[in-house]
Amino acid sequence: MYSYSAFDRQFVRARAAQFRDQLQRHLSGQLSEDEFRPLRLQNGWYVQRHAPMLRVAVPYGELSSRQLRQLAWIARRFDRGYGHFTTRQNLQFNWIPLHQAADALDALAEVDMHGIQTSGNCVRNITTDALAGIADDEVVDPRPYCEILRQWSALHPEFAFLPRKFKIALTGAAEDRAAIGWHDIGLQLVKNHAGEVGFRVFVGGGMGRTPIVGTLVSSFVPWAQILVFIEAILRVYNRYGRRDNLYKARIKILVKAEGERFVAAVQREFHAILERDAAGAEHLIPPSELERVARHFEPPAVVLAHATQADDGSMAEAGAPQAFRRWLERNVHPHRVRGHRAVTLSLKRAGQAPGDATADQMDAAAELADRFSQRELRVTHDQNLLLPWVRTSDLRALWEAAREAGFATPTIGLLTDLIACPGGDFCGLANARSIPIAAAIRERFDDFDRLYDIGDIDLHISGCINSCGHHHSGHIGILGVDKDGAEWYQVTIGGSDGSTLSGAATPGKVIGPSFAADEVPDAVEALIDTYELHRIAGERFIDTVRRVGVAAFRAAADARRRATAQTEAAA
Amino acid sequence: MSTRTPEMLFVDAAQDPWRPLGDDAVPSAHALLTLAQWSTRRDSWPTSVPVGVILGNAVDVETLADELPRWSMVALQFPKWTDGRAYSQARLLRARLRYTGQIRATGEVLVDMQPLLQRSGFDAALMRADQSVDVARRALRFFAGHYQGDLLQPLPRFARAEACTP
Repeated sequence: MYSYSAFDRQFVRARAAQFRDQLQRHLSGQLSEDEFRPLRLQNGWYVQRHAPMLRVAVPYGELSSRQLRQLAWIARRFDRGYGHFTTRQNLQFNWIPLHQAADALDALAEVDMHGIQTSGNCVRNITTDALAGIADDEVVDPRPYCEILRQWSALHPEFAFLPRKFKIALTGAAEDRAAIGWHDIGLQLVKNHAGEVGFRVFVGGGMGRTPIVGTLVSSFVPWAQILVFIEAILRVYNRYGRRDNLYKARIKILVKAEGERFVAAVQREFHAILERDAAGAEHLIPPSELERVARHFEPPAVVLAHATQADDGSMAEAGAPQAFRRWLERNVHPHRVRGHRAVTLSLKRAGQAPGDATADQMDAAAELADRFSQRELRVTHDQNLLLPWVRTSDLRALWEAAREAGFATPTIGLLTDLIACPGGDFCGLANARSIPIAAAIRERFDDFDRLYDIGDIDLHISGCINSCGHHHSGHIGILGVDKDGAEWYQVTIGGSDGSTLSGAATPGKVIGPSFAADEVPDAVEALIDTYELHRIAGERFIDTVRRVGVAAFRAAADARRRATAQTEAAA
Repeated sequence: MSTRTPEMLFVDAAQDPWRPLGDDAVPSAHALLTLAQWSTRRDSWPTSVPVGVILGNAVDVETLADELPRWSMVALQFPKWTDGRAYSQARLLRARLRYTGQIRATGEVLVDMQPLLQRSGFDAALMRADQSVDVARRALRFFAGHYQGDLLQPLPRFARAEACTP
């Protein structure tokens, strides 16, 4: 993984010092809350329901065991002993008092971490495939480009106050595990006929009130030109994106409204930068820079040395426990280096919110990374952790250790490996709670045999229309809404993140009026029952929904409504 | 007195020579015109009398390429400090249109904007009256360098020699 240079290190420390100055001015009354807010947001500090929330950037999801231990230390020292991993591969703390905010950033800077641009109307933390650099279906490793983009976007002076937030995701594999269609810019690394590397560039995807999938703006931007191309996109957006209406300010609205004119404006701007601007071509990436950054992402030498060993294809010897075999099936993933696997550490278990980890669990995960994965972890889009460099010969020992630490729930990709935002328990924006809904669904579907029978399915829960829980892209999506001060939940089906399993990215369709909180597990069960009733051999939930249509599912869910909700559905 | 640190001029409103031009006023040095005023008076404005123009932040500065050589100052506006359009205008004025006169930030201009302003091509700021020049100067001193090129340092870090050092 990337290791900081002296420059990177002093840059992050300078940022922490700058924030301390701003915080002190705020606490002493020189800087009003209104004027402090955008500054703290661009350092990751929200103020939510109970206390400030700090969102720590985990650049493209890569984390060292040393960094994870420091996050555990921060959780104990400043928070209430836990943190929450997000769909954007970040980590959130929920209870750090504002007057300790600068101290927390200093503690992060000690391990080359920060909260820079994890919020605010700027380019956010860049996300990618959690299997980047190790996936067996990878065309090009996206991480060197992620890092170059991270550096380029960090404190870019022109693009710190865009009309709205701006999210970039990259993938370099055949399978899209980064949901690039749902991002303001989605980048897919490809090779052209000549074998040259470039990007397919999608612009204007986004969730929220108006879910829109990104538009293909260029089918091949040579890799060396990508910073200039993104500069062109951002400049067009900064100048022409709407600022009169918060709900119409994302670039997706501009792209939708302008269509081909937007694409033409980006192309014009791109050529103007290169052909007319003083130093405009200086942001073409030289091969030497790509090589310099790429060297950070070479597989550890010990992994390559071990790669000559024969791959143990079976892994589970005869008589291995069923739980181990299930874990191998769900939590262990193919690897491009022979004799290795990637292993998901599940953060979906009883008694804890999806994506949550206590300080002790963070330490335990760091320990597993030290023992089994070259001191490296990844944060996944599905709110789990992943060990990227596990030897097949270590799998049994890892399973036992992961089970001991509570990370071995063998349900990756199944119904209860669901995505959920923190919701109304924490978030000041939420209309309804997400965590109790997630817990109720997990309790309803606590039988592994049933979960395995249901098979691959994405269930996503958001506590409000801001869609942090990506409900639009869930095969089943659940959205918290507020009706007369009570919590209700709108259910959608048929959404897709854009993966092969789920099909082309698309938002799900709403099935009738909202459900009361205690009806949600029944409604979900009705959808699952309907799938089981209609499915043909080998068909997954999402395929059955597409083949059979929404109506049958809606009717089944409506039949489980009670009291007022049923009256409303009939109306 | 207005002060510079090292390229940024913090304008003292009381000492500022630039004044809006009354509709019927004769051309005078350091008159600040709206774009509409300039368009009606450009042909009669004496080339020897320094003139400045204040631009709304939705103005496409690329349409003004022919006018720029005649302007000693361009005032760009921040109606709200979080409205970032003027950063792009400044950048285009400098890097694309090679404008060399003063580019001044006006409107809701706050101390914490200074590093962004300076790096985007502004060289003067008329800050909101309650803002401290000392704090603004301090705000310009936190960072020893940046990754991307800007109007102070046109080369991105990877194109500079020191990038090779660890």
